[in-house]
Amino acid sequence: MSDGAQNSQPILQATSVTKRFGGLIAVGDLDLAIMPCQIASVIGPNGAGKTTFFNCISGFYAPEEGEIRFLGHPIQGLRPDQITGRGIARTFQNIHLFAGMTVLENVLVGIHANLSSTPVGALLRLPHNAHEEDLALAKAYELLEFVELAEVGDYLATNLPYGSQRRLEIARALASDPTLLLLDEPTAGMNPQETETTMHFIRRLRDERDLTILLIEHDMHLVMSISDQVTVLDYGRKISEGTPEQVQQDPLVIEAYLGAPADEAVSGFLDD
Amino acid sequence: MLYAKLQRFVSSIREGLNAGFVAGVVNLFLILIGISTQLRNLAIFLFLLVMMIFGIRLARRLRERSLGHVMLNAVAMGAVATVMIFLLLALVNRWQAKGIDVKQYFNAITTETMEVLSGVPEEELHPNPDIDPLTGEYEAGEPLRTNPLRLSFDRDTAIHLRFGLTGQSWIDLKLGLGGVHGFMLLLMLSGLLSAAVVWAAVRVDTSRYRVRTSAYVAGNPIAHWLVLLLPLIAFAFLWLTKGHAGGGALINLGSGAQQVQLLLSFMIILFALVSIRAAQKTTRDLGYSTRLAVVVGLVILLAGLAIWRIVGNNTYFVAPPSEPGGSQTLSIILVLAIAAVMVLQNIRALRDPSRFESQLAGTVSLGVMLLMPLYLDQYQNDVLTLVGINILLGLGLNIVVGYAGLLDLGYVAFFALGSYTYAFLSSRQTVMDANNQPAGLKFDGNTEMVLTLAAWMVTAAIIASAVAAIGIYLWRRRETIHAQQAQATANGRRILGTRAVRPSKSISLLLIVIAVGTSLIAAFILDSSGVYDRVFSGVSPFLIGLVVGVITSGIAGIMLGIPVLRLRGDYLAIVTLGFGEIIRLLFNNLRDFTGGPQGVLQIPRPLPDGASGTVTYLSIVYLVFLGAGLVAFFSIRLNQSRTGRAWSAMKSDESIAQSMGINLVQSKLMAFAIGAAFAGIGGVIFAARQRNIFPGDFNLNVSIEVLSLVIIGGMGSIPGVIMGAVVLIGIPEVLRELSTYRILVFGALLVAMVILRPRGLLPAPTAELQERAAGLLYRKKEGQL
Repeated sequence: MSDGAQNSQPILQATSVTKRFGGLIAVGDLDLAIMPCQIASVIGPNGAGKTTFFNCISGFYAPEEGEIRFLGHPIQGLRPDQITGRGIARTFQNIHLFAGMTVLENVLVGIHANLSSTPVGALLRLPHNAHEEDLALAKAYELLEFVELAEVGDYLATNLPYGSQRRLEIARALASDPTLLLLDEPTAGMNPQETETTMHFIRRLRDERDLTILLIEHDMHLVMSISDQVTVLDYGRKISEGTPEQVQQDPLVIEAYLGAPADEAVSGFLDD
Repeated sequence: MLYAKLQRFVSSIREGLNAGFVAGVVNLFLILIGISTQLRNLAIFLFLLVMMIFGIRLARRLRERSLGHVMLNAVAMGAVATVMIFLLLALVNRWQAKGIDVKQYFNAITTETMEVLSGVPEEELHPNPDIDPLTGEYEAGEPLRTNPLRLSFDRDTAIHLRFGLTGQSWIDLKLGLGGVHGFMLLLMLSGLLSAAVVWAAVRVDTSRYRVRTSAYVAGNPIAHWLVLLLPLIAFAFLWLTKGHAGGGALINLGSGAQQVQLLLSFMIILFALVSIRAAQKTTRDLGYSTRLAVVVGLVILLAGLAIWRIVGNNTYFVAPPSEPGGSQTLSIILVLAIAAVMVLQNIRALRDPSRFESQLAGTVSLGVMLLMPLYLDQYQNDVLTLVGINILLGLGLNIVVGYAGLLDLGYVAFFALGSYTYAFLSSRQTVMDANNQPAGLKFDGNTEMVLTLAAWMVTAAIIASAVAAIGIYLWRRRETIHAQQAQATANGRRILGTRAVRPSKSISLLLIVIAVGTSLIAAFILDSSGVYDRVFSGVSPFLIGLVVGVITSGIAGIMLGIPVLRLRGDYLAIVTLGFGEIIRLLFNNLRDFTGGPQGVLQIPRPLPDGASGTVTYLSIVYLVFLGAGLVAFFSIRLNQSRTGRAWSAMKSDESIAQSMGINLVQSKLMAFAIGAAFAGIGGVIFAARQRNIFPGDFNLNVSIEVLSLVIIGGMGSIPGVIMGAVVLIGIPEVLRELSTYRILVFGALLVAMVILRPRGLLPAPTAELQERAAGLLYRKKEGQL
């Protein structure tokens, strides 16, 4: 895929995606397009359907309606492992590292999708398997250096401090060499200084690794300062979209976050 | 005044009274389930052990109090426990005196129980001490003395402590303490002793000494080397207890020798694990030639011992068809070949000075373990075979449970399938139906079918590999031509390794169809032209059985895996448990095909007809060693590979693993298939060892035992599984007297393990990859990778 083609067409395009849980519409008729090498954010109050939308993209849920195209190919309904194979990686709102595995092994699991060795190859340790394993190990170490965790490669992942676990999760997601990275509240539970560091880190990801990043975040300062594009969800529906400045001035957004006087809310509803 | 004093006294010993009550209940339980009758005088030790455990607990709880206080509580504990036991026995005696047959209600309470506990000798307990040879019971009549509460302090009615293995008495003591007094005194003393020891230990604070001792062992090279050479030392003991070339043993163990030697052989196995684990990456300033000389010298020593044994005692372990009694020349050649392989491996590996210790420990451990069976007799080797088969099964189950985290309670099914497959293919028995006509699967005379099957498999394997090789070669060539296009259409997926995109599904299917088709045609042509008969008529049925058995079990593993793909944890356990029972019941009830409960008989050993002498059991033991070694090797390789990491991730969290790109279906089926195939190897060897197999050999207990040994040894740890098998299967064989309580001990051990060492006896160490990874990255940056 040439650079020109990538710039002209969105890397991820969701068209009227709907996901229901019984009668509850978690995500309703959502349209979203992300251009290459952008940082796009999805914000919204708790329960707005942000994580559900992430789960639809990464294959945990199959949306009932709509279409999600990644690099021009439809991906809705594929299994999570197939979607990871296509080049979408994600992190989780609550940290989910593999307990009982070391930091390096966690990253190596992330490389899984890019390796091709089979059990027979592993049993006989065929030359190309051994070479692939060496490459994977070197790459895992390189990623750990990138997230500044190389010194603790042999520690059990669950023994790391909280901030390091977050960075390790991102390293593990990067290990599959994704084109699109989904970050689900990467600064949850961090203090302002750690949030600042994470913000620079996310920028570095985009700039140094040519990644497209889709971000769920509650920290408005972070969202507004690094996003190229912000989408606001409320009750599963998109209520606003645009650059951070546009979104910040949208009355609907202010209303969703701060609430509005009753008569204004009604008139706003009628205006729609 | 007096009442208040008494109240204070009772409240001060309340801890002891409570502990005594619980200890008494535990001992009563042991009596009611019949421990004391089974163990005779050993029962006393068991009761003392219970009291000591409670004494330790008591002293821990009262560690802040004075010694006198602790002792008083210990005495109270012993007294309460004794009184409880004797109240029960008095009751039982009362009933018996009244003519109520207690045995009818409490099967375990016999006159023997009371003899053990009360110290009343048999002659006085029974009017006629002769046992009825038919029923094994004493003849009826009025007992002379039955009520232990009536006994007096009497030297003649002493507790007779006899402790020894297989009839030989090592300890032969007559304590002058009989009846309730003596028993109470004993229980109180044991409680007192343990309480005092623990109280003193707590007061003195031993932790400081413990730290100092472990630091001493870690820092002391002599202690370290002692640990490294432990297997060799244990083997030296074993060697000394054995007679050589007709001469007597240097250490004569008398009639207990068999058990002691067996224990020594277990110790060699355990020490080997310890020694390999203790090996460190040190850079000692020893030159290459010195390092090599040390290790090669040891290999030559061990090989020399083996040859001496083979020549001196006519101990052979290989038998060609021409020499059914075993061939001396072939045995010696094999020993030399193994020694040569070890030497060559060391010549290469010892170039790296940091590997000296691990090479030494590994070579010595392996050598000693291979040498060991030559010094053991048939019974001991049979026990080792049993332990080895359980190691094999444990390693297989370890893949499913330990690596992939899929709790499989029906593992015995694959073991049974392996056994029955070999049995069907090789048994010389002819099954007749009611009309005396050969029924269903005729075991005898199916040589033709077996040969065709074996030959077809070889043909298919050769042709399939050829087709696959050519297909992949062509695919890759196409790939290089269209490399750029492939890059563009790969949907963003990037490949790390040297191999590019794998052949697509349609290409793979085409390859499979071509391979199957060609091999069918080839097999048909070769069969009809008579080539098969000429080539394969000399092949051992064992080899054919091994291959077919492994394939059958592996396929069965996949077939079990498919319906349970979505199940986790408890649900998976229940379904697999059902599967294990289904297989056993099928073998039991498909009488026309499997021989039903009568089993399959006359299964040949992997030896020529008419084999005799040491070769009959030594060949099996080495076969098991070979199998277990291979399976352990495969397990290590798999665990360190992409597949192993996928299993580990899946065990930790299935859905997160899936989002990392792991195909859960593939990984799970792979784990089931490989685990089952390993069980198949165990099954084939088991059938060859037993020579007659029955559906009853494959009941649920086997699954439970194998699972227990994996859990107790350490899930996911290969040394752990080996240790678990030795501890749970081997040790009970030595302590034959206790083997009735194996299940009881299993249960207790499992409970204790889960509480005390939840990760097992020898848990798997975490991988240490950082150094290597850093080195690889450096090489990659230098462009050498």
